[in-house]
Amino acid sequence: MLTIENLHATVDGKSILNGVDLDVKSGEVHAIMGPNGSGKSTLSSVIAGNEIYEMTEGNILLNGEEIKDMDAEERAHKGIFMSFQYPVEIPGVSVTNFIKTAINSSRKAQGLSDMLASEMLKKIREKAELLEIDTKFLSRSLNEGFSGGEKKRNEIFQMAMLEPKLSILDETDSGLDIDALKIVANGVNKLRNNNNAVIIITHYQRLLNYISPDFVHVLHDGKIVKSGTKDLAHELEAKGYDWIKDDID
Amino acid sequence: MELKEKLLNSHLAFEEQSDVNEVVQTQRINSLKVFQEKGFPTKKIEAWKYTSLSSLIKKDYVLFPKNDTQVEFKKIKKYFLPDIETFKIVFINGIYSPFLSDTTHDGLDVCLLSAAFNQSKYNEIIKKYFNKSVIKDESLASLNTAYAREGAYIFIPKNMVSEKPIEIMHFSTGEQKTLWLQPRNLIIVEKNSQVQIIERHQSLVDHDVVTNSVTEIYAHNDALVDYYKIQNDLDSASLIDNTYIDQEKNSHVSVHTFSFGGNLVRNNLNYLHKGEHIMSTLKGLTILKDKQHIDHNTLVNHSKPNCESHQDYKGIFSDQSKGVFNGKIFVHKTAQKTNAFQQSNNILIDDKATINSKPQLEIFADDVKCSHGCTIGQLNEETLFYLRSRGIPRKEAKALLTYAFANNILQSVQINVLKKRINEQIAEKLGVDLGFDL
Amino acid sequence: MGYTEEELKKELQTKEYEYGFYTDIESETFPKGLNEEIVSAISKKKGEPNWMTEWRLDAYRSWLKMEEPEWANVSYEKPDFQNISYYSAPKKKNKYKSLDEVDPELLKTFDKLGISIDEQKKLSGVAMDIVVDSVSVATTFRDTLAEKGIIFCSISEAIKNHSDLVKKYIGTIIPAKDNYYAALNSAVFTDGSFCYIPKGVRCPMELSTYFRINQAGTGQFERTLVIADEESYVSYLEGCTAPSRDENQLHAAVVELIAHDNAEIKYSTVQNWFPGDKDGKGGVFNFVTKRGICHKNAKISWTQVETGSAVTWKYPSCILKGDNSIGEFYSIAVTNNFQQADTGTKMIHIGKNTKSTIISKGISAGQSQNSYRGLVQVSPRAQNARNFSQCDSLLMGNKCGAHTFPYIEARNKSAQIEHEATTSKIGEDQIFYCNQRGIDTEKAIALIVNGFSKEVLNKLPMEFAVEAQKLLEITLEGSVG
Repeated sequence: MLTIENLHATVDGKSILNGVDLDVKSGEVHAIMGPNGSGKSTLSSVIAGNEIYEMTEGNILLNGEEIKDMDAEERAHKGIFMSFQYPVEIPGVSVTNFIKTAINSSRKAQGLSDMLASEMLKKIREKAELLEIDTKFLSRSLNEGFSGGEKKRNEIFQMAMLEPKLSILDETDSGLDIDALKIVANGVNKLRNNNNAVIIITHYQRLLNYISPDFVHVLHDGKIVKSGTKDLAHELEAKGYDWIKDDID
Repeated sequence: MELKEKLLNSHLAFEEQSDVNEVVQTQRINSLKVFQEKGFPTKKIEAWKYTSLSSLIKKDYVLFPKNDTQVEFKKIKKYFLPDIETFKIVFINGIYSPFLSDTTHDGLDVCLLSAAFNQSKYNEIIKKYFNKSVIKDESLASLNTAYAREGAYIFIPKNMVSEKPIEIMHFSTGEQKTLWLQPRNLIIVEKNSQVQIIERHQSLVDHDVVTNSVTEIYAHNDALVDYYKIQNDLDSASLIDNTYIDQEKNSHVSVHTFSFGGNLVRNNLNYLHKGEHIMSTLKGLTILKDKQHIDHNTLVNHSKPNCESHQDYKGIFSDQSKGVFNGKIFVHKTAQKTNAFQQSNNILIDDKATINSKPQLEIFADDVKCSHGCTIGQLNEETLFYLRSRGIPRKEAKALLTYAFANNILQSVQINVLKKRINEQIAEKLGVDLGFDL
Repeated sequence: MGYTEEELKKELQTKEYEYGFYTDIESETFPKGLNEEIVSAISKKKGEPNWMTEWRLDAYRSWLKMEEPEWANVSYEKPDFQNISYYSAPKKKNKYKSLDEVDPELLKTFDKLGISIDEQKKLSGVAMDIVVDSVSVATTFRDTLAEKGIIFCSISEAIKNHSDLVKKYIGTIIPAKDNYYAALNSAVFTDGSFCYIPKGVRCPMELSTYFRINQAGTGQFERTLVIADEESYVSYLEGCTAPSRDENQLHAAVVELIAHDNAEIKYSTVQNWFPGDKDGKGGVFNFVTKRGICHKNAKISWTQVETGSAVTWKYPSCILKGDNSIGEFYSIAVTNNFQQADTGTKMIHIGKNTKSTIISKGISAGQSQNSYRGLVQVSPRAQNARNFSQCDSLLMGNKCGAHTFPYIEARNKSAQIEHEATTSKIGEDQIFYCNQRGIDTEKAIALIVNGFSKEVLNKLPMEFAVEAQKLLEITLEGSVG
């Protein structure tokens, strides 16, 4: 589904990613782990198309199609979803209004007409139920005054509504207590199927206790330095990132 | 003869008995022309909408006081900072008093502006700085420039920390019943240097003294200037304070204005940013009663990116006193990433007290964080109730809460004896028995 | 509320001022210029009583002695008052009994404006008075209103048929000598709307006036007078458009509201006069004086969406004279290209326990200048006055300006006044977040601006809110490069 080849990226002229290769297939869950400053969040932003980052070398393919020159919204229309580490607040715009605008924008890009209001409502109710979200929450302004947990649940709710092919969860576990973490993980698990894929970006392995990855990659200095199965995450938890650093030095 | 006429006609005589520094003379003559053209500001001028000078300028003032007044130190001791050593520049009726002063030329210069004007070794500095920061079309500042002769001259060379605070003290003795003073201060703080300054205008007997003062402060890269204005004069004394601050890269200039006394006080406090990463702090605490009138007029001119300004003014107004806050934040389009905050909080104690507030934002850059807030209100009844439920009578509870409201301006005062002194003054003004040191 | 994507999309494709058509209606226009003869002629043309003619002449003489105000934060070339025609009317006079008699060209105009009078009549039940150039051309629903004793007609008719009421109230809130433009308006106003709601009557429908400047070289000087008698209620809407023209057109209106004891007036405006082209050429000078008085327990609520005009100078105000009266001001002002707006309100607290709320949202784009100017005044006898003001500015780009000039004057110790102002921009992170969810930048901005303005949009009656939302987007179209 997603193929990343020799990806280099810089921000403000500073080089962050130095040749990342990654191959994610349908139905797979990949975890990308690494210490602070290893380039994890840069990787997710570059895949999503954030223009702050300049891609200097390499290629990104989604289902064989080159996406590196596409705008962020085009990539979203193609099925890329990123759950933000720090979701932004948009005062005065309700969650519902926002999601409706997002869905209809994607439909328009695919040559479809707007989703009927009744259909939209039905879907909202369905997904809210699936993720145990109180519908009152949907009329509040987007992320404004939301707690950390509410923001992340809102991200997963949007993921459910938009039904992306590839979801990138950027530090989704940060700032969550264990209950909130379970709810979010549960949501992601419910949304998993053979036609989509998930990339989990995280510093700690605790989220991986609830969402089981097929592959674990370790990012260090902007490169994937080690790949393995779920066991690698446990090993990392036990030995810390210094172990990897020592290992490659 | 009207005061304006008198001021215009007296200038020739002033120039004749004055020094002959050509640079200064040119500035004086040009400034006199500005004053001649503009005259005293009237309420028709937007910046003077809420403050009238008409009753002040009706009187006939002595412009050039005699030379020979002496004051004993013990009579004025209480106006100086206790317990710590300071440099002192002291003026009696506008005339320098060497006997009461404690100046220096040891590394830094803490001395007289007249000396700097007259000695050739200062020529370059005078030429470089004198009247450069003053906004040229302001009539009162121009009037001061026209008569600029005496005041404090402070020069801190680079990489130096003035180990003692500097006190600039202006006393008037009442020998001339009506007196018009125009002190002029020039303060230059070079790269990476630090200084603390306290300025005070004080009449020793109650008489009609009007001080139209101009202070120029130049803070170079990484300089730190901490300035305190103590305005607690007797009932008939009025003050127009014009302060101009030019800041270079990474400098921090902080001005605290404590206004507890006087008849009419007008503060024109102007900041101009000339480099990045500048910090400007403006704090004011006003506690007035009777028919006292204060007008805080501030301008922070953000013209460079990545700078910050913080303004916090609090006022408590009793009897028929009047407060004006007229603050402007100006953000040029070059000043991206500006953080500028302005807050004015006021309490009206009595029915006839008045507050006029005009907090303005003028913003031309989009990537900025600017805000202002202004409140006028009373003490919170719930909090009052809480205190009373603990047995504190209403009157004391009110005083205590008012004290708490005022007191937090003191947090940023860096000189401990000054903080203590002002704290006592606040407590006294508000009728709070401190009982212990805060 | 419906967020109708298709409509938005269509609107977004129309870059130029969409109301910029000129209707070819035969009209009768006075020669250009202003003097006592012209003032008298206007009065005569309209068959006004003597007192009215004198009142106009008096205003004209005062105006001659006055100077055009300079204090606002706007700059423009002063209009040449001798180069304006002060009277222009569609030739067939306004004596329509039914819509069938209306000039078909004129009906087409309304269609283009999006006001199908018939439709309005059937669907939304909004009573309309339509003023083209200087003359009221159609008032709908008059009979239905008359049953309740409500008078809703053009001010010319009111001067003729309800002379006592007009005489009693006109100029009492905004005296003819109040300011330069009000004096000019008092001398030369040619039409406008008049509305009287009798005691205890709740007006069953929104009353609406649509203003349009059509003829070139004309100024529009309409006069609106709304009187809500004791315990009555009325919601009044006002909309404005003008054709695109190279020269600047002048609009100097006066609106007076009187809310008697326990009455409530809600006055909403969507102002969309031609703003000039993208290079700042042409556009309407909108110099308007609006003021209302609240007697005991009365309430006046001004809501405005200002998207048009080259220069706007306007401060809808409330005199809170009666005890417990309430004044509200909700405003969105959007400026783009070379537009300049200096707008805000005055809340004058005189009665006891009076309350006022000011919510102002300014959005500046292009090279425009957008200023909020407001006064909150608490007089010595206004015990327990309360005011809350919030002024938020949003800047788009680095060539525009946002300014806040609040004046706060408190002369009573029991006053509680809070004023807050913030300035912000649309964050790149907000836009990227929207992009990532598939929303393109243009739409993301519309969404964010809409959210920013929501507190005010919510105060508008439904029909207007939809139009206002669309206008916001059209105005900001192309403002982000």
